[in-house]
Amino acid sequence: MNDSKKGSKFSVTSSLLITLSAVLIVISMFFPWWKMVFYAPQYPEGLNIIVYPNKLKGEIDIINGLNHYIGMSNFSEKNFPELSYLIYIIGGLAGLTLLTAILRMKKVLYGLIGIIALVGVTGILDLHFALQRYGTNLSSKAPIKIDPFVPPIIGENTVANFITHSMLGTGIYFVIAAFILLLIPLWKDRVR
Amino acid sequence: MKKWIPIASGLLAGFVAATISFADFSTKTNTEAASSTKSNAEKVYVPFGEKDDYYLFASGGHSGQMFIYGVPSMRKIRTIPVFSQDSATGYGFDEHSKKLMGGYTWGDLHHPAFSETKGDYDGKWMFATDVGNSRAAVVDLKTFTTKDIIKVPNTAGPHCAAFVTENTEYMFLPTRFAVPLGQKYESLDDYSAKYRGVMSAVTFDEKNVKLNIGYQVALPPWSYDLSDAGKKGSADWAVMTTYNTEESTTTMEINASQADRDYIVLFNWKELEKMVKEGKYEEVDGQKMIFPEKQKGGIYLVPVAKSPHGVDVTPDGKYFIASGKLAPAMTVFSFEKAFKAVENKDFAGERNGIPILNYESVMEREVNPENALGPLHTQFDDKGMAYTTMFISSEIVKWDPKTGKTLDRVPVQYSPGHSVSAEGDTVAPDGKWLIALNKIAKDTYLSVGPSHPESMQLIDISGKMKVIMSAPVDPEPHYAQMIKADKIKTINVYPKDTKNKDAVYKQSETKIVRKGNEVHVYGIAMRSRFIFDAKSKRPDVIEVNQGDHVFIHLTNIDFDEDITHGFAINSYDLNMEVQPGQTNTMEFTADKAGTFPLYCTNFCSALHQEMNGYFLVKPKN
Ligand SMILES: [Cu+2]
Repeated sequence: MNDSKKGSKFSVTSSLLITLSAVLIVISMFFPWWKMVFYAPQYPEGLNIIVYPNKLKGEIDIINGLNHYIGMSNFSEKNFPELSYLIYIIGGLAGLTLLTAILRMKKVLYGLIGIIALVGVTGILDLHFALQRYGTNLSSKAPIKIDPFVPPIIGENTVANFITHSMLGTGIYFVIAAFILLLIPLWKDRVR
Repeated sequence: MKKWIPIASGLLAGFVAATISFADFSTKTNTEAASSTKSNAEKVYVPFGEKDDYYLFASGGHSGQMFIYGVPSMRKIRTIPVFSQDSATGYGFDEHSKKLMGGYTWGDLHHPAFSETKGDYDGKWMFATDVGNSRAAVVDLKTFTTKDIIKVPNTAGPHCAAFVTENTEYMFLPTRFAVPLGQKYESLDDYSAKYRGVMSAVTFDEKNVKLNIGYQVALPPWSYDLSDAGKKGSADWAVMTTYNTEESTTTMEINASQADRDYIVLFNWKELEKMVKEGKYEEVDGQKMIFPEKQKGGIYLVPVAKSPHGVDVTPDGKYFIASGKLAPAMTVFSFEKAFKAVENKDFAGERNGIPILNYESVMEREVNPENALGPLHTQFDDKGMAYTTMFISSEIVKWDPKTGKTLDRVPVQYSPGHSVSAEGDTVAPDGKWLIALNKIAKDTYLSVGPSHPESMQLIDISGKMKVIMSAPVDPEPHYAQMIKADKIKTINVYPKDTKNKDAVYKQSETKIVRKGNEVHVYGIAMRSRFIFDAKSKRPDVIEVNQGDHVFIHLTNIDFDEDITHGFAINSYDLNMEVQPGQTNTMEFTADKAGTFPLYCTNFCSALHQEMNGYFLVKPKN
């Protein structure tokens, strides 16, 4: 192996780390990525909206039933077209990651990191705009009138008698772990 | 280079995340039973946020209902309507419960009995009988609602029931009143020849939630009072007490109290079941009837001190204890001795074709606590000790069935009929608590006039017996059962039933369908509106013609615990409820023309008061 090649290829250990990263991305698809818990005096146990890459879970019907009092439109999988294709994007990223591990080329790794960062930022913006859409598009005929609001992606918010807690789900932690695993080779195989 | 660090840190991140998301920190422990260092108030105090240790199911007597209490707090939690109408829940108004009621409007609910597995409560079903109108019922403990009721023919007043066998094979219904078969007219002069005290063996089909009658036994025309099924070694057997073996037909107070001895009927239900399988019965009124004088075997009489009330089998299944009611004594009989006497045909003659076992051969001991009067009913604790209510001397006496020795006694206020200890008639009683079901409260509570509620007194039996609490109760608990709370597994909402053609789960699928003069409404109730036809200009209005036959199928689509809706039509004498997720039907003829507001009767939300509509009936020309 000559020097120039050594500079552009990374080590087997790094390849293994990237393989593990691909595995974590795949695993993340089976866990919720984000959730919002609604607490009220009558709901000390909390009502959940749990977002998976491909579905919504939790007490969606109950939340929708209550939301009509403030004129908010219904949460449903139908209203989130992202849920129909997000899983393929994630699958694609896992595939790319695995390919990177096989190719062991630094340039490809840089590209991959860039793509994942881009997809991540897009996802966060998408969620933010969705929350904004729900919180600000309130029906003018609602029995209870409240000021428009935008729930945060992470953190607490108060709406009428509800306090909402938004938080990241297990899936996203797997993705973050996967992303960290991709960064480690950059440091480990840095040119000394 | 430690290669494992990055790998481990990646995995760790994942696991930490999983733990944060899935860990459950929510379990809460119950208050544990009486410890002797606590004051009476501390023993019964269940702080907010904690729950009672036991459910108490008390019969509601002639209210036709069952009352549910928590123990030790003695707080009333629920009334379950069983044999009587109840407008609070719409029971007896909606189609399902109206059919169950079979045209009757009241009942006299006597002895509640849990379903059992291996002689222990399994917490799945509760049975009860109606002395008023000869019915038997089953309550589902997932929902605390009545699921089936049957009318029992040939019998009149199944008082000494229900008692279930060790694995709920049967629930037996012996009768308090003797009547002619088919309840036909017969002169009372022919009482001994034409009247019978029929006992029914009721089966329960758990899958289809249906009660049925397996067979009946045409016992002599005596009154049957209380009963119990055997346990363990005596599991195939059952015992019940009789009175009026004099066969008197009037002024029974005097005439049924003449003979020195009445009987305990001892029978082997496995043997009776076998006889029925072999065709040893006669068809009466569509029932398989065993006549003990003709189809011999399986039934024996044990002489007992006159007019006994309770007969209770010890937790080990070895003895049965009869209480004398008019005599001062309890008698302990041995199953083992009885089996031997049956085997050796150790008989002292026959009554009405049934062999009488020799008293001396079966009796184990007579127990006569000093000055105790009117023993009625016995319960047990975890050590096998017996607790007998003394109706006349108004006390509970604790004694040892193995020695007959009196161990403790405590006065109660006043006149205890039955008592119930924690799982006290199972193979494994819990001890801890005993509740005296007193017939007279008189001076116990704030006065409400000449008549008073009954009283239930909570007694701590973990040490020396001590009455620590008294709770009023509506008329009238005759009997009760107490079960460990964690055995009962209720549901939070009714699950969606896509096979139910009356159910509608989507607002857009609501509709009103007319078939000739039949109008079927497929509607929903939700916070805070009714929708009967989503496409209509006014979705919460039902308009029919006078004389139409109306079916209102209503589904509560709030799948949210405790969000129950009601549905009443003003001036139409109609009301029903739909629990979360439940579909219920109301059927009636719109015979009155006019304008009738309809509204939600069960407070459901901040806009409950707005949850209404109109039922419009167009007059016939
Ligand atoms: Cu309502």
